[in-house]
Amino acid sequence: MSFLRIQNLYKTFGGQVAAVNRINLDIAEGEFFTMLGSSGCGKTTTLRMVGGLEKPDSGAIFLGDQCLVAPEKNLFIKPEKRNMGMVFQSYALWPHMTVFENVAYPLKLRGIKGAEMSKKVEDVLALVGLAGLGERPAPALSGGQQQRVALARALVFSPKVLLLDEPLSNLDAQLREEMRRELKSLQQRVNITVIFVTHDQIEALSLSDRIAIMKFGVLEQVGTPEDVYFRPATPFVRDFLGKTFLLSGKVASANDQTISVDIQGSSSASLNLPRGKALTSATKSLTQGQSVTVAIRPEQVNLTSGRQDGRANMVEATLQTVQFLGDRYEYTVTLGTETRVLASPEQQSAKSGDRVYLELKPEGMTLWPSEK
Amino acid sequence: MAKTETFNAPAVTRSWLPPMDGGTAIMAALIGFMGFYVLYPLTLIVINSFNTATIAEPEVYGLDAWRKAFAEPGIWRSLWNSIKIGLVLQIVALPTGIFISWLLARTDIMFPNALEFGFWISFFLPGLATTFGWMLMLDPSTGLINSWLRQMPLLSGLNFDIYSFSGIVFVHLVSNGISTKVMLMTPAFRRMDASMEEASRMSGASAFTTLCRITVPALTPVIIVVFLLSVIRIFSSLETELLLGVPWGFYVYSTKIVDLARQEPPLVNQAAALGSIILLFLAIFIPLQRKLISRRQFTTVTGQFKPKIIELGIWRYPATAFVGLIIFILDVVPLLSVLGGSFMTRFGFFNLPKTWTLEYWRMALTDPRILQGLHNTLIVAVSAGVVGALFFSLIGYILVRTKLPGRGILDTICWLPSAIPGVLAGLGLLWMFLGTPIFRPFYGTIVLLVVAQVLGGITLATQILKANFVQLGKELEESSRMSGAGFWRTYLRIVFPLMAQTMVMVAVIKFMFAAQHNGAIILLATSETRTLSLLALDQVAAGYREVASITIIMITVLTLGVAIVARSFGLKVGIRAD
Repeated sequence: MSFLRIQNLYKTFGGQVAAVNRINLDIAEGEFFTMLGSSGCGKTTTLRMVGGLEKPDSGAIFLGDQCLVAPEKNLFIKPEKRNMGMVFQSYALWPHMTVFENVAYPLKLRGIKGAEMSKKVEDVLALVGLAGLGERPAPALSGGQQQRVALARALVFSPKVLLLDEPLSNLDAQLREEMRRELKSLQQRVNITVIFVTHDQIEALSLSDRIAIMKFGVLEQVGTPEDVYFRPATPFVRDFLGKTFLLSGKVASANDQTISVDIQGSSSASLNLPRGKALTSATKSLTQGQSVTVAIRPEQVNLTSGRQDGRANMVEATLQTVQFLGDRYEYTVTLGTETRVLASPEQQSAKSGDRVYLELKPEGMTLWPSEK
Repeated sequence: MAKTETFNAPAVTRSWLPPMDGGTAIMAALIGFMGFYVLYPLTLIVINSFNTATIAEPEVYGLDAWRKAFAEPGIWRSLWNSIKIGLVLQIVALPTGIFISWLLARTDIMFPNALEFGFWISFFLPGLATTFGWMLMLDPSTGLINSWLRQMPLLSGLNFDIYSFSGIVFVHLVSNGISTKVMLMTPAFRRMDASMEEASRMSGASAFTTLCRITVPALTPVIIVVFLLSVIRIFSSLETELLLGVPWGFYVYSTKIVDLARQEPPLVNQAAALGSIILLFLAIFIPLQRKLISRRQFTTVTGQFKPKIIELGIWRYPATAFVGLIIFILDVVPLLSVLGGSFMTRFGFFNLPKTWTLEYWRMALTDPRILQGLHNTLIVAVSAGVVGALFFSLIGYILVRTKLPGRGILDTICWLPSAIPGVLAGLGLLWMFLGTPIFRPFYGTIVLLVVAQVLGGITLATQILKANFVQLGKELEESSRMSGAGFWRTYLRIVFPLMAQTMVMVAVIKFMFAAQHNGAIILLATSETRTLSLLALDQVAAGYREVASITIIMITVLTLGVAIVARSFGLKVGIRAD
C-alpha cells in the first residue's frame, strides 16, 4: 500500500510546454524519496504540487486514502490543510521573528500554547542541533544554522510528509556535506516520509531510498541509488549520474554468454562483454555488424603504458596530455579521432604522444545503441 | 618606514580620480558652493528670528519677534494643525496604501498594470489639479456632488464641506497620500521572496493570516521608510491648505509663514521665528530619519524570483472594483471636473440655456497674464531641469566614484533639501537676496525662482543619479583612464554619454517639480515673474474659477504630459536599495 500516490500528474505553464507530463509515482511511508534532474525538468513543480503551492492541470495526488487534489473532480486541499512540512531553497525564515518564534509559528496556528509549545520547540531545536539559540533573530544566523531552523520549523508539528526543495544548494561545499550526513541521520531518527528535490547527484545517491530521475517533465527512471547508477535505463540517466567513458564500435559476434565488440579507431581492440551485465533495457536485440556504444565508468578503466599480454579487453590509445590535479592525474587520450579524459591516482611514465593501453573491467561495461 | 610612505603617496593619489590636489579642490568648491546654497539661507532664517528690523534694514537684534510670535496663539495653532493633518492623513493613508500595494503586487487582481498606472498618474497629477477638481465637486453651496445630493429625496440633508479639516485631509489623501505609498510599496511587495508566504501556508496559516502575520511584518522596514518620507511631507504641503484652509481662517504653519511675510507691514521676523521652530524639529528628525532609513533592511529579496501570486477566488471582483473606485476618485473625478470647469458657462449648472462655452478658453489664450505665466513657467522649469541634471550628475558621480575626503558632508548637504519645506527655503532665499548687497539686483527677477527651484529637487536627482552610477560598470571608466584619458575627459566622453538617458529623466523630474510646486517661490515671485501655478492660486483666491481651470489644465499638461512621455523612456519610481 503506497503512502503518497501521484497519478497522471500534468501541469503546463502558459499552456505551451508541459512542465510535468503525466507522471505516476508511488512513495512508501517512511521512505526517503528523491527527485533528481537538471533545472527546469519539473521536479520542483511536482514537489510544489504535492505541497499544494501549485495546482496541476490534471491528474491526482493521494495521501493515504485521502485525495489531495484532483482537478477533474474540482477537488483541491489548500496547502495549510495538508499538514506537510516544507523546507525552501532560500529557507524562507521570517526576518521579523526570532528563531523560537519562527519554529513556534506552526504550533500557534494549531492552537498549541504555553509550556507545551515551548517544550516542543525546544525539543525540535535540540534535534537539529540548535539548542539555546532560540532567542536569536533569524537573520543573525549563519547559512547552515538558518537551514536547521527551516528544518525545525518544518518538523515541529510532526507533519505526515517532509518536502525538501534543494535545501542544501545554498550552503558552501563543506557545510553541504556535513548537513547531508545530518539530514540522513535525522530522517532515520524521526522516521518521516521525505520527498527531496535536488540537482546534485551525490546528494541523491547518498541520501535516498529511491531516486526518480526527471527530464523535460517526464520520469526517466525510478529506482534505488544502485539501480540508477549501475543499471541506468536510458542514456540520459547514464550520463547524468557520474562520468561515463564511451567507446564506439560494432557488434562482432554475440552468443548467450558474451558479446564481442570491435572498437573503432583501434585495429587491435575487441571487447568481450558478459551478456547478463552488459545488456540494458535500451538494447534488447542485437545483430551482427550493428553499431553500438560501450559505456563504462572511468573508475573501471585502468590506464597502463605497456601492453600486458594475456589480459583481455585492452584498448590502444595515444596519450595527449597529463595534468596533475593533486589527488589524481588526468590523462587526455585519443582513440582514432575521438578524445577521452581519464583520471588515475597513479603516475604513469608515458609522455605526450606515447602509446598507452586502456584496460576495461568486463563487469563495468554496458552496451547501448549507437548514438549518432 | 617614512621613506616608503613618501614613495607610495603619489601612486596612491593618482589611482583615485581626479588627482589629489585637483580633486580636493573640486570637493572643496562643491561643499563650499552647496553649503552656501543650502545652508546659508536656513542660517539666515534663524539669525533673523532674533532681528527686529525688516529685510534690507540695518539689523536690530532682540527677542521681540520670538516674544510676539509666542504671544500670538495663531502660531501655535498653525503648528498643531500641521501635525494634526499629518497624523490623521497617515492613519488612513498608510493601511490603505499597504492593502492596495499588496493587492496589486501579490494577488491575482484583474488588470494590475492598468491599476498601477492609475496610481502613477495620481502621483504625477499636480496637487493643484486634484484640490481644485474636488473643490468644484464639494464646495458646500456650488459643489456638483452637493447639488446632486440636494435633489435626492432621502439624502437632501447631506452636504459635504470641503472647506474643513476633514476636507483638507480628504484632498491630501486623494492627491498624494495614497498614491505615493502605492508607488513606493508595490515594488517592495513584488520583490519579496514568495517562499516566505509559502512557508507560512505550509505551516498551516491561511492567506489572510499570512498577510497579517508574515507579509506586512516582514516588510516593516520598507513601511517605516515610506512612513518617514510621508511625515516630512506634512511640512512641505502648501497649496491645499492655501485654497481650502485660509478662506475660513484655518492656518497650517506654511500658510501662516506666507501670511506673516505678506502682511503689510510684513512680519518676516515672526515668520522666521516660526520657521526656526520647524528647523529645530527637522534638525532632530532628519538624522533620526536617515538613521532609520539607512539601517540594514531585512533581506526579503532573493535572487530566485518567483512571482507566485495569491488567488483571491470570489474576492477577485470586489477587490478589482475597490481599487478601480479609488483610481476613479484619485484621477478621473478631478481631471473631468477641471476639464468641465473650463468648458461650462457655469460649472455644475447643466440646465443653463447655454451650458457649454469656449469663451473662457478664448479669454485665457489671449490673456497676457496667462501667457506671461506660461513663459515664466517654461523658463523656470527648463532651467531647473537642465541645470539640475548637469550639475547634480557631477555631484552624484563624485559621490559614487571617487574616494575624496568630504563625500559624507556633501552627501548630507544634498540630502537636506528633501526635508526642508519649500516655504522655508523660499523664506531663506528671500533674505539672502534682499539682505546680501551683491545679490540684491536679482530681487524681483526670474533668476530667483530658478535658484529656488533648482534647489528643490536636489535630493531626488542625486539619489537617482547615484543609483545609476553604481550600476554603471566601473571598468568602462577605468579602461578610459588606462587608455590615457584624464578625469574630465573620461567624465565628458565616457560617463556623460552613457548616462544621457538617466540625465534626461532627472531633467524631466526636475522640470515637473519646478512647474508644479509653489512653496519655494511663493515669497519670491512678483506679478511679472509669476508662474502658472502661482497664477492659478491667485485666480482661485479671486474667484475666477473657470479661468483657473484653464491655467490648471495647462500645468497638468506640462507636468503629467511630460511624465507620460518620460515614462515611455523608462522612468521608474521606487525605493532603491543603495
